Amino acid sequence: MSAARVLVGLCALAVATGCGGAPLWDAPPPAVAVSPIVEPGRLHRFGLDNGLSAIVLEDHRLPRVSLGIAVRRGAASVAPDRAGLAGFAAELMERGAGDRDALELAATIDGLGAVLSVGAGWDSITVQIWGLTRDLETMLEILADVVLRPRFDDEEAIRVRGERLASLERATVEPYFLERRFALAALYPGLRAGVPLAGSADAVAALDASAAREFHAAMFVPNNAIFFALGDLDADALLERVGVAFGAWPAGAIPAAGPPLPAPTPTARRILVVDRPDLTQTRIALVHEGISRDDPDRIAASLLNEAIGGSGFSSRLMQRLRADAGLTYGVSSAFDLRREGGIFGVSTFTRVAEVRRVIDLLLAEIERARSDPPAGLELEETRSLAAGQFALGMETSDDVLDGLVNLDVYGLPEDSLDTYRARIRAVTPADVTRVASKLLHPERAAIVLVGPAQALQPQLHGLGPVEVVQP
Amino acid sequence: MRARSWLVLSTIALAALSCAPRAIASPEIDDAALRSRRTQLENGLTILTLEDHATPVVAFQMWVRVGSSDETRVTGLAHLFEHMMFKGSKNVPPERHGQLIQSRGGTVNAYTTSDVTVYTSVIPSEALPLVIALEAERLANLDISEHTLTSEREVVLEERRMRTEDQPGGRAREALYALTYQALPYRWPVIGWRSDIENTTVEDCRDFFSTFYAPNNIAIVIVGDFDEDAAIDQIRENFGGLEPASEIPRHQTREPAQRGPRRAEVHFDVRAPIFAAAWHTQPVGHPDSEALEVAAEILSGGRSSRIYRRLIHEEQIALSARALNAQFARAGFFGAFASVRPEVGVDRVEASFVEEIARLRDEPVTVEELESAKRQIEVAMIYRLTTNATIAGRIGHDVTVLGEVRPLEERLAAIQAVEAGDVMRVARAYLIDGASNIVHVVPPPAETDSRGGDS
Repeated sequence: MSAARVLVGLCALAVATGCGGAPLWDAPPPAVAVSPIVEPGRLHRFGLDNGLSAIVLEDHRLPRVSLGIAVRRGAASVAPDRAGLAGFAAELMERGAGDRDALELAATIDGLGAVLSVGAGWDSITVQIWGLTRDLETMLEILADVVLRPRFDDEEAIRVRGERLASLERATVEPYFLERRFALAALYPGLRAGVPLAGSADAVAALDASAAREFHAAMFVPNNAIFFALGDLDADALLERVGVAFGAWPAGAIPAAGPPLPAPTPTARRILVVDRPDLTQTRIALVHEGISRDDPDRIAASLLNEAIGGSGFSSRLMQRLRADAGLTYGVSSAFDLRREGGIFGVSTFTRVAEVRRVIDLLLAEIERARSDPPAGLELEETRSLAAGQFALGMETSDDVLDGLVNLDVYGLPEDSLDTYRARIRAVTPADVTRVASKLLHPERAAIVLVGPAQALQPQLHGLGPVEVVQP
Repeated sequence: MRARSWLVLSTIALAALSCAPRAIASPEIDDAALRSRRTQLENGLTILTLEDHATPVVAFQMWVRVGSSDETRVTGLAHLFEHMMFKGSKNVPPERHGQLIQSRGGTVNAYTTSDVTVYTSVIPSEALPLVIALEAERLANLDISEHTLTSEREVVLEERRMRTEDQPGGRAREALYALTYQALPYRWPVIGWRSDIENTTVEDCRDFFSTFYAPNNIAIVIVGDFDEDAAIDQIRENFGGLEPASEIPRHQTREPAQRGPRRAEVHFDVRAPIFAAAWHTQPVGHPDSEALEVAAEILSGGRSSRIYRRLIHEEQIALSARALNAQFARAGFFGAFASVRPEVGVDRVEASFVEEIARLRDEPVTVEELESAKRQIEVAMIYRLTTNATIAGRIGHDVTVLGEVRPLEERLAAIQAVEAGDVMRVARAYLIDGASNIVHVVPPPAETDSRGGDS
């Protein structure tokens, strides 16, 4: 750094302050204008007689459209011995529908420059196609084919099963996957929720076309689904076409949601070491039960989470582990909110020799979140961060529509996006204090380590029962 | 029209498809980047501003024309230095820069490539004056101390373990670059070699800063809901006093022509081996770029592409596979990557992939393949116009690497102009068997230990 720059700094500082006042970084934040997330004129809602609801968000800035159908059930509705069925069926829906077999469907989509995606989450399955407005007609036809007329050809089922088994095999040496797999197993042994979305190799090996066909028939009923679209389109004209494409889809029984997730879990501290002798870095996860998507405490919980971990650079854990001590590149925490319950988890990684130090810091910081929860300026900055980043996360119509579909999937109020920032502002320090002691349980969390067991075991004395498992 | 299709289709969809003009009459696209205004301060700082009030969001990016390929003695310095930019200045304590922006509801991050270092923020409009002031403050008053460097070095080493040392894909990438570039400074990884990260000094950081972080080596890009004149005035006031550098040193090395194929094998505990290959091409902006991009798309764009159909659908030997047209400021390569299915040998995947590369040289691609590839590239370009950050990113990249914003229309026209003969010509010119660079990541043979002391 040259002397010239130091000199310049003084004048930069003087200017940044508007001469004589405090520098901008010491000034209180300016008030942020709160504009509506969803401008009323652009959003259209309607429903078909068979119970299919629909949302259309017009956005004429670019000649593009996105169309989709989401059903309000997902992998959580699957029995544990079929773990992987939802993802298998979803993948198979992309491999041939209507008059087109797998390669014909792919060629039609690629020829439009469009993208088709069928994805199964825990609580929903989403079929979506993105492309240009001029191809709307074909895209809608493909969407209807994939949702209503997937072919589930035997040959494709065998192919997809092979691919998914190979992926699971590849994942058995991937640290992040192992962390996830053993964390879920520690929380929900014997349940579907105790196995990752991709499923288990044993269950996937037994899947076939008829299993996918039955699953699809049960899950895809219009009275438990929502059609959504955005882009450079005319909502009324689209409604008419949606009526033609999906009007004859017969209503059916709404499939059961998965069983409520047991809580509390685990009931006592346990440490699982997933042995990977060759790794130089150990992944560390700390997990216990969380809350459901509709829990009344979810906003206070999200602020608490953001203050202690979250996904940004400002959190207590990021400060302690990364900024102060150089122990990791990243640390995050989250309440994973699902329909029937949820998971609270903290995840990080460090060099093998420092694992115990990191575990102790994690436990101490979570304990401190209960004894000294965020309040005052820290809480104010967290509120501002959460409200502001929420608004930034709604920059595109795609973001807004994703948010609206998610609310529909969980049966939450339609105006939640527009009320969200006010609900954040309404969280009091007392709320945060209350949820911190109610929702954080470091004393009985499961701790999962993925790394060389031989080097890790001597570090773990006094933490709780240790179990070494092979991936 | 229908006769050209290689599919046997008989559906209404095809009717709809074939009615559409296949010789792509591109839709009217508002290329917002063309409305950006360029201002140059006397000290050489470039400012690009684009007002768009559709959403209350501003993307702020500072593009510094320095990357790992500008490093001379210590590799990884550009990236490690990027981390140090968040570790405090005279008037702002360590980490506070990021916290201040986040506490105003913004996001902040940075990344380093072989050619550039980019500091990015997405913020509510009200936070822009603060972001400009903070950026000027750290350029004017950055404070690199032994203490903060010591801990940040460990952070970067953790990043290196995560991305490369414990990651087969990272190992493959590192080996491929080192094999492909024998002379150019693209041969070392952006994050640097471990021993260099461990030994970087405060003095190294300070020298690097004073050499490269000069206003005439920086472009500031702002896109979104803000007042252009006010922002330019503030930047002029906050940055105008920075001293330009008289000269920014650059490597003059050129890569000698490759004589003969090269191979490397990396041992790692993988269930799915990795195949990676690269052929030398041309830097970004070269007239052959579009033909190479179309070639990559024909090989692996979508499930109707050649590589997907052959390696994944028909032969079922790979879990994923793709071709890639990678271009940098001073070089380029055409890449091939595949994740090999656990029960299959990596040689088999290599043979099929390389055969498909050879087919590009030996026979013309079909009209349908060409049109489909062009359409996929076109749609992807349109989708990159949806956020202020992606528009700012394109402006920043073009101005920093090419010197000016390249109109989307011009790019689309160049893509449209690619013919089957062009694809064959570039395949013959660059994708030569005798000049390939091939890396396999495979499990170690049972009797040896793959792990050395140093990573």
